[in-house]
Amino acid sequence: MRRLLLVELTRMRWRRAVLLLLLAVVVLPVVFGVARAWNTQPPSDAELARVDQQVAEETARPYVQKELDRCLAKPQRFGLQADDPDLQAQCESFVLPQREWFLYFETLDLVQERDETGLAVVALVSVLLLLAGTTLVGHDWSSGSMSNQLLFETRRTRVWTAKALVVFTVSLVLSLVVFSGYWLALWAVARSRDLPATTEILVDCLQDGLRGALVAAGAALGGYALTMLFRSTVATLGVLFAIAVAGGALIAVLGIDEQFQPQTNIAAVVLDGADYYVSVPDECFTNRPPQGAVCDQEKVLPARNGALYVGSFLVLASAASVVSFRRRDVP
Amino acid sequence: MSDLVIETTGLRKEFRSRRGGLRVAVQGLDLAVPRGGVHGFLGPNGSGKTTTIRMLLGLASASKGSMELFGHPVPQSLPAVIDRVGAVVESPKFSPNFSGRQNLLLLARTIGAPTSRVDAAIETVGLTGRDRDRFKSYSLGMKQRLAIAATLLKDPELLILDEPTNGLDPAGIREIRDTIRDLGERGVTVLLSSHILAEVQQVCTSATIIGNGRLLASGRVDELLQGGASAVRVEVPDPAAARSVLEGAGFAVTPTISDEPGLLVESEAPADVTRALGEAGIWLTALTPVRRDLESVFLELTEADTLGHEHGDRPTQGGAA
Repeated sequence: MRRLLLVELTRMRWRRAVLLLLLAVVVLPVVFGVARAWNTQPPSDAELARVDQQVAEETARPYVQKELDRCLAKPQRFGLQADDPDLQAQCESFVLPQREWFLYFETLDLVQERDETGLAVVALVSVLLLLAGTTLVGHDWSSGSMSNQLLFETRRTRVWTAKALVVFTVSLVLSLVVFSGYWLALWAVARSRDLPATTEILVDCLQDGLRGALVAAGAALGGYALTMLFRSTVATLGVLFAIAVAGGALIAVLGIDEQFQPQTNIAAVVLDGADYYVSVPDECFTNRPPQGAVCDQEKVLPARNGALYVGSFLVLASAASVVSFRRRDVP
Repeated sequence: MSDLVIETTGLRKEFRSRRGGLRVAVQGLDLAVPRGGVHGFLGPNGSGKTTTIRMLLGLASASKGSMELFGHPVPQSLPAVIDRVGAVVESPKFSPNFSGRQNLLLLARTIGAPTSRVDAAIETVGLTGRDRDRFKSYSLGMKQRLAIAATLLKDPELLILDEPTNGLDPAGIREIRDTIRDLGERGVTVLLSSHILAEVQQVCTSATIIGNGRLLASGRVDELLQGGASAVRVEVPDPAAARSVLEGAGFAVTPTISDEPGLLVESEAPADVTRALGEAGIWLTALTPVRRDLESVFLELTEADTLGHEHGDRPTQGGAA
């Protein structure tokens, strides 16, 4: 088995299309991370000075001062209390121009990044690794070299397993490195900007990365298994596309809960639980809604359920793939 | 130890079409290939040769019947015997973007063969200097050579070659023929499936002829060539008149199979043919005795089988023709 694993690893290493996809797995998250760090840069001192000057100019305008006087005279009109000891400060903050009115910038928030770009990076890497899995073995079928391999190793289950192990392991290790690098880099950037970036947040991010790597490796394995089943990269991608379109349409037409949608389940695995929304009875919107959780529109899908959902598809695809490969004639 | 390296009994392969129809590619084939020498495996296109080979190698499953390689039942014992078998099935199948050498290295590493064996195989088939080029840049002849090199990685006792000279130029065909003959003489058993019957006749010591998935004849080549009527090829200025005269005298006459001019007349005594034509005032320009060759045996058997198949008759079974 060790010999076969090395052969498949070498085959992967020599296949240029696969290498390009693996390179994209590394490069695209780097681009993503750099873009996030760039877009969340704090303003420069010159920019702050310019904004401060603008604030001072606006504050000095007569109508602004008049408005401040009105606030101090009749605070109730501004929703403030007349006996508030901080009335002066309250009115100033309410009426006088503030820095942020003239300066918009996004702050790097790791907690928010987890739900947004973190999930997007996992999705991107998963698609690329799925393509790598299908490309690797689709080429064996299209060139006919699969039959040549089987003339040298006739135990088909071994051949299937060796290829699957290489696809899964390489994908897992690579995506784990990429995701860990992504979160460590963003964490370091946040720390350097004195933003909230505790070790706990980093650990959460890295755990997301680990679960994301499992999802990405699962996608690669799924792509491989389906290609061994359909014996063509094009057929596999066609079937996946059809399932995505037809499945989405079916879910929409039948009004199936969001909890059964693939993206919700994948998000639940990666983020250790995902929020989803359900429709509630019309009575919930009356003056006397029913008691209890029946009117809660927002629910949480646990990671366990998501893993069961995604894992079931993977196991089914793999089982069908192995059985088919063992039984069907090889062209 | 069994004297047969390949033995099939009642081998059958059925294909089901998507419309539910049944096509029988091999029906009850009994194949016996003795140890040593070169054994021809002949049959028209679609007669089941490649399907039989693919079943023997585990690439296709048999619907019925049994198969043995070196006395071991296959496909059950295929992992135990496959290292003793080298095979080229149909066209050479390698990764087009890998070099010839890379393709061989992957196969060699699969069986744990050292890199030196790859070098030796490349040298044996004359691909040295081109082995680092991509497979897709190879001519068909070079691809065939690479496929043969792949079979040599195992140092096989049995070599199964399915149309190994396809696409080769005359010099390449000769080289491959010499290689096959040499391997046969060194004790390697070669099963050679080919359409080039003259080549098979030159190389093979024994042969099996199949048609419509059934055994038509099997045995030593010299045994297969025995029997059947002797014939002479007659060249005359007016073939139509000569044919009429000869048929009137009771001879079986057919136009020659190949492009050569004249008539083929079945006769044990060429003198009777010349006398009949001379008495009718038809003078010969040439008269050539025709030796029975594998092509004529092959055509007789396969044409008879086709006719029998069309009329639902049972084909000739087993033994020499």
